[in-house]
Amino acid sequence: MSQSETVIEIRNLSKVYRDFWGRPKVRALNALSLDIKKGEVFGLLGPNGSGKTTTLKLLLGLLFPTEGEVKILGKSAADVSKNERIGYLPEESYLYRFLNAYETLDFYGRLFDMTAAQRKERSEKLLDLVKLAPQSRRRQLKEYSKGMTRRIGVAQALINDPDLVMLDEPTSGLDPLGNRDMKDLILDLKAQGKTVLMCSHLLADVQDVCDRIAILYGGELKVMGRVDELLKAQDETQIRSSKLSEAAEKEIQEVLQRHGATNVKVDQPTASLEDLFLKTVQESRERPGHRNVTDNQSVS
Amino acid sequence: MYFDPNEYLLNPIISVLNWVVVVGCLTFVVLFVSMVNLIATRGASGVGVFFDELGGMVTDLFQLSPRRIWALTRLTYTEAIRRKALAVFVVFGLLFMFAGWFMGDTKEIKPDQVKVYISFVLTTISWLTLPVVLILCCFGIPEDIRLRSIHTVVTKPARRVEIVLGRMIGIWLIGCLVLAVMAIVGHFWIVRQIPAESQSLLTCRVPVYGTRIDFVDREGNAAKSGVNVGDIWVFRSYIEGATKARAQWTFRNVGESLLDSDGNLNFENSFSAFRSYKGDMTRPLFYDIRLINPEKNLAYTTDPQPVNEFRHKLDTIPRKVTIDGTQYDILKDFVTDRKELHVEVSCIDREQYIGMARSDLFIRMPDRQFWMGYWKAILGIALTLLLITMIGVSASTMVKGPIAAVLTFVIYFLSLKDNHQFMDQLVFGQVQGGGFLESVYRLVMHMGPSQELPANPAFVVVKFFDWVLNNFLWLCRHVIPYSQYFNMPEFVSNGFDVPWDTSILPSLLVTSAFIIPCVLMGYFALRIRELESK
Repeated sequence: MSQSETVIEIRNLSKVYRDFWGRPKVRALNALSLDIKKGEVFGLLGPNGSGKTTTLKLLLGLLFPTEGEVKILGKSAADVSKNERIGYLPEESYLYRFLNAYETLDFYGRLFDMTAAQRKERSEKLLDLVKLAPQSRRRQLKEYSKGMTRRIGVAQALINDPDLVMLDEPTSGLDPLGNRDMKDLILDLKAQGKTVLMCSHLLADVQDVCDRIAILYGGELKVMGRVDELLKAQDETQIRSSKLSEAAEKEIQEVLQRHGATNVKVDQPTASLEDLFLKTVQESRERPGHRNVTDNQSVS
Repeated sequence: MYFDPNEYLLNPIISVLNWVVVVGCLTFVVLFVSMVNLIATRGASGVGVFFDELGGMVTDLFQLSPRRIWALTRLTYTEAIRRKALAVFVVFGLLFMFAGWFMGDTKEIKPDQVKVYISFVLTTISWLTLPVVLILCCFGIPEDIRLRSIHTVVTKPARRVEIVLGRMIGIWLIGCLVLAVMAIVGHFWIVRQIPAESQSLLTCRVPVYGTRIDFVDREGNAAKSGVNVGDIWVFRSYIEGATKARAQWTFRNVGESLLDSDGNLNFENSFSAFRSYKGDMTRPLFYDIRLINPEKNLAYTTDPQPVNEFRHKLDTIPRKVTIDGTQYDILKDFVTDRKELHVEVSCIDREQYIGMARSDLFIRMPDRQFWMGYWKAILGIALTLLLITMIGVSASTMVKGPIAAVLTFVIYFLSLKDNHQFMDQLVFGQVQGGGFLESVYRLVMHMGPSQELPANPAFVVVKFFDWVLNNFLWLCRHVIPYSQYFNMPEFVSNGFDVPWDTSILPSLLVTSAFIIPCVLMGYFALRIRELESK
């Protein structure tokens, strides 16, 4: 399979949900067409009810399209054999709550006809990968927190070492650490040459990991393209430098104004909240007891 | 109430035909409903989808993976155990702890009491395992769909057929596990309840029934039956005493295997006595048994034997018998070239009658151990569980759990003897008052069942709809199993062994008849529906 090979091909896909009497109730998806190439991380974005999950379920054959056509890895959505190379993480981790982590992965491994040795080896590897604590692995899933359930959900999606991974809201329910782990995992999958299709309404997550995105609204495709191109502000220029003196900043402002620049703002860059959180956790681990409180009014 | 084993015996050829009819009818229903459903939901393209899915199923059958089926089986099994299905043992334990208090004196055991013990154990086991299996099989898949756990399965390479099969096997296995534990406990309980001196009552008689019974009337002419003495149960015909009237049994394939260890031929009977005058009530009625060989014109008559009313009676005939000073071998001289043995029974007492039916006289082979029959009866319950599992699982692929449970229960209820026989009467027009609509009309108009209906076009329509409904009932009658086939516990509690050829094997055949349509139904239901909880 070459790098430019199309892994997912969607043509004019529509889905109308009907009521008990067969009358159209809501058009969840309207004439969606897009291609996803091998090795890219593709993000489906949109507010709640925009048709992201419906698209994913149509791709997986869980729903039937009202119109249009879908090809995944060259096969139709209804073809079960396509699932050999697909991993799927549902929006909620709909796993069997009475199984423990090992039993869960063993069960899904059997569905891929893996041998006992393969299942054992793969399970250990995946549980380490998703960082599920060893002492939790023998507990039934009904005792897991949402984050732990999400981790085991990811592990089951990767049990078969899939070529195509579909993740529905992968960071939902995860704390910032888990969130970062998930994003690292997605980037790692990309590095391995796997194709990832993820749905999310958390824009920062998508921005961090996706090569291309499509934004859906009301079941229709509104925007599609490379993330860096879509986010590039064509009518602005950004200059970054190490910390300058006040005099140097003033001088630069004068130069910019001389060249006709408007809305000039010279200040220090800020990190994202996620970066700050991760840095704090990291420091807390390294220096227990250390506090860095800048707003004294918030401390009682 | 008498136990009539013939009622339970199945002719293997009829079983095969039954198998074909059940498979054919059920398959037709499943395919028809699936196609209608597809056309309703997807319009004209539904026809194409139907044939695609049919082809897909054939492909899937060749790609079935035992490992995947076993994975789903284990999942079902684990789920049932962890959801406390085994709590049924608590009820079972309580029943058996205190049952002995209410079941009579254990110091002096009578044959009927043994029957009660065996019947209690087998009935309890049936009625505890059936609901457990019913609930498990009807709620498993709908719960999977409701919680969307099934999404993580169908997005793996698991075929829909494998999901259905895995569920069926898993639930049946858990049912069998519960059944086996209860059966072992039940067996020990029965043996423990019966004192050592009465243990001989725990036995499995092995009967060989005559293939036909013929009657001869008081004049010595062949008759369709004996005399009707007004018994409302027409099971038996009565033979008038001290006349030429007699009943003739024909036993086939008579050979050495039917003799006991001493070389004797044992006949057991359960004839009933009917007195036309009171007489001496302490004196039993008498009958004699005659072995005849029409080819050699030979006849051997036993001494008069008393009728054991309401109990079984054993008559032993030695292999070597003497007639007019000449010794004859029963097997060589009385068994015809076609390996048939003809036996006649007549009543000796004048103006008295002895009631006989085909199953009232049989050759009793050497008895088998009680446990053999007991475990065959358990097999009968296991087959019933399998049947309920198959029906329940396939129903649960189409509708929600409670509806599937009600549907399966109704099918089981209709399969019970009386209900199934009532369906037979309706289907074959043996019930007075006409069909459904006609009956309603008669009820509303206060018309008796024998009153003629007015001849007008409305009744043509009524008759037509009744005809349609009757044909639908015919279909139901054929697709609803007759649970009496599986009623092997009846044999054991009545002291008989369960015959392989006429009971167990035909039951297996009937069960197997449901496998194909039920799996087909499950496959189609899961393929053509969107697996979203709604």
